[in-house]
Amino acid sequence: MRPSVLNRRAFLAASAGAAACARDPRPRLNVFNWSDYIAPQVIPNFEREFGVRVRYGVYEVTEEMVARVWSGNSGWDVVFPSNSYVEPLRQAGLLQRLNHARLPGLANLERLFQAPLWDRGLDWSMPYMWGATGIVYQRTLDPAPRAWRDLWSAPLKGRMTMLDDPAEVLGACLKKLGYSVNATSPTELAAAKQEAVTQKAVLRAYLNAEVRDQLIAGDLLAAQAWRLTAQQAIDGAPERLEFVFPEEGFPIYADCACILRESKRSELAHEFLDYLLRPEVAAATAVAMKTSTCNGAARPLLPPAVRDSPIYYPPADVLARGEWFTPVPAAAQRLRDRLWTEIKSA
Amino acid sequence: MSGGILAMRSRSKPDPPAAAFLAPSVLLQALLFLCPLAIIAGYSLLSRGAYGGVELAVSFENYQRLFDPLYGAILLRSVWLASISTLLCLVLGFPLALFIARSGRRKGLYLQLVILPFWTSFLIRTYAWIFLLRDTGLVNTVLTAAGLITQPLPLLYNDAAVVLGLVYGYLPFMVLPLYATIERLDKSLLEAAADLGATPWKTLWTVVLPLCRPGIVAGVVLVFIPCLGAYLTPDLMGGGKTIMIGNLVQNQFSTARDWPFGAALSLALMALVMALLMAMSRRRGGQQAEDLL
Repeated sequence: MRPSVLNRRAFLAASAGAAACARDPRPRLNVFNWSDYIAPQVIPNFEREFGVRVRYGVYEVTEEMVARVWSGNSGWDVVFPSNSYVEPLRQAGLLQRLNHARLPGLANLERLFQAPLWDRGLDWSMPYMWGATGIVYQRTLDPAPRAWRDLWSAPLKGRMTMLDDPAEVLGACLKKLGYSVNATSPTELAAAKQEAVTQKAVLRAYLNAEVRDQLIAGDLLAAQAWRLTAQQAIDGAPERLEFVFPEEGFPIYADCACILRESKRSELAHEFLDYLLRPEVAAATAVAMKTSTCNGAARPLLPPAVRDSPIYYPPADVLARGEWFTPVPAAAQRLRDRLWTEIKSA
Repeated sequence: MSGGILAMRSRSKPDPPAAAFLAPSVLLQALLFLCPLAIIAGYSLLSRGAYGGVELAVSFENYQRLFDPLYGAILLRSVWLASISTLLCLVLGFPLALFIARSGRRKGLYLQLVILPFWTSFLIRTYAWIFLLRDTGLVNTVLTAAGLITQPLPLLYNDAAVVLGLVYGYLPFMVLPLYATIERLDKSLLEAAADLGATPWKTLWTVVLPLCRPGIVAGVVLVFIPCLGAYLTPDLMGGGKTIMIGNLVQNQFSTARDWPFGAALSLALMALVMALLMAMSRRRGGQQAEDLL
C-alpha cells in the first residue's frame, strides 16, 4: 500500500487490526513478569530483532502468577517464579524442560547460579535476578545494627519496621534463634513466633515498599527490607542510609525465567530467554531496575559503583551466610500461616 | 375512569408477561452474584491446594476452624472497631446532615462536597492520610514548628489511625441517608414544638431524632457493614500490626494460599451480616430504613 493513498477500506482494516491486535501476522510471545523487572528498551528491541510481538503482563506477588498459570491454560509462555516455586511448578507438570542447545547464553551465568540448589541441572529454570533480605538503617544509629537481634533493642521503639511477609518475619526470628529460615519443626517455629510477638513492643509497623519514603524522610531508624527496596532508599539519601546483611544469616532468593509446558511457542520462548542472557541485555536491566543480576558476563558492563558495591554483589564470605528459601511442606506451611495470624493479632 | 381504560386495554391486548421484564435482571443476578457465591460456597467445602486453588476432597474442617478462639478474637476486634467507627460517623454525620438540610440554596453544593472524595480512589486517599499523619508529615511538622510539641506524635499505625481512616472513608454513607430523612421532615412539627414551648434541644431530642430513626438505621447499616469487612485501612493506617476479619480473609487468598478457609470465613462473615440485618428489620424503624436503602 502506498502511504499517500489511504482508502477507507485500508484505514478500517488497519484500525480494526490495531484495536484487536488480531491481524498482526507476527508470532506473539506472552511474557508474564514481576512489575518493574525489565529495562524499558528490552522488549521493543527483542520485538524488532526477531520480528515478533510480545504481550507483556506483570504481577506483584508470586501467588498471583501461580494462581493464573495453575490451570495449565493461562495463555502465558514465559513466567518468572521465585526459586522456591520452581520445584512445585515442575511437580505440578506446569513447566517445560529447557533445551540447553538453544540456550548457549547459560554459560554467562555466575558460577553460583550454574547449578543452583533448586534446579541442579538448570533443566527447568533460568536464574534471572537475585535478591536478599537485610537491614537498612540511619548512619546516626549508635551502635549500628549488625544482626537481626539488634532489631529488638529498646532505643528503636516506634521507629523500626519489619516486612509485612510471614516468611520474612519468621525467617528473621528463626535466624536470630540460630535456626534455618526454612524451619518446619513446630518447636522452632513456636519459638520464632514468640520472638516476633516480643518484638511488637518496639515495632512501628509491618511495611514493604513504603519503608523507602519513610527511611528517606527520617521517620524510621531501621527497617527489615529487601535489598532492592533498600537500594532505592539509599539512593534517595546516600549520605544518611546504610545497609547490612545480618550476622546470623539472611534469606536469599532468585527469580527465574521458566517456560510453561502449555506454551506453543517453545522455540521463540527459548530465543527470548537466550536474549535475556546476553550480557548487555542483562546489564541494562540490572542497572535500570537496581537489581543484582545472576549473569556473570554482565558484571563487567555495569557502572563501577554498582559492580563493586558490597550491597549489590556482596563478597563470598557474606554471601555464604545467605540461605535459599526452599518450598515448605504443606503441614509446616499451615502452621506458619496460623502463627502469622497469631503474631498479627497479638 | 382511567383505571377502567387501562383495564379495557389489558383485556384487549395482554401485557407481555412479567417474566420478560424480569429476565435481564434475574439473569444478571444469577450470573454475577449467585454463581460466584455458589462457587465460594463450593470452595468452602473443599480442601486446600498446596499452592493455592482447591483439592477435590470434601471436608467440613474449614467451618470447624471458624470456632478457633484465635479467629473469634479477630472477629470481636473487627466488630469493636467497626462499632466505634460507626458511632463516630453518626455523631459527626448527624450535625452535618442537619446543617446541609437547612442551608437552603447551597444544599446542592454541600452535597457535592460530601461526595467529592469519591472522585479519587480510596487507596490514594488513604495514602494521602499517611503523608499527613506520619512523623515527618504535615500535622507533626506544623505542630512542631508551632512549638506545641517537641517529639512527633504517634498518629499513624495504631487503632486510632484505623478508626480515623474508617470514619473518613465511610462518613458520606452516613450523611447521605441522614440528609434524606431530615429533608423529608415535616417542618410544621418543628414549628408546633416551638409554639408549645420546647427548647431547640428538646425539639431535637424528642421530635427530630425519633423521626430520623430510619435514616439513622440506614446510615448505621451502610457504614457498619463495610467497616466490618475493611482490609485496606487496617493494613495501611494500622501498619499491618493488627488484623481485622477482612485482612484474615485476604491473607487466605494471598500469602496463606488457603482458598477454602478464606471462602468459609467470607461466608461466615456474610451470614453474620445477614443475621444482623434481619434482626434489625424486625425492629421498629427497620422497615422504613429498608425503604430508604
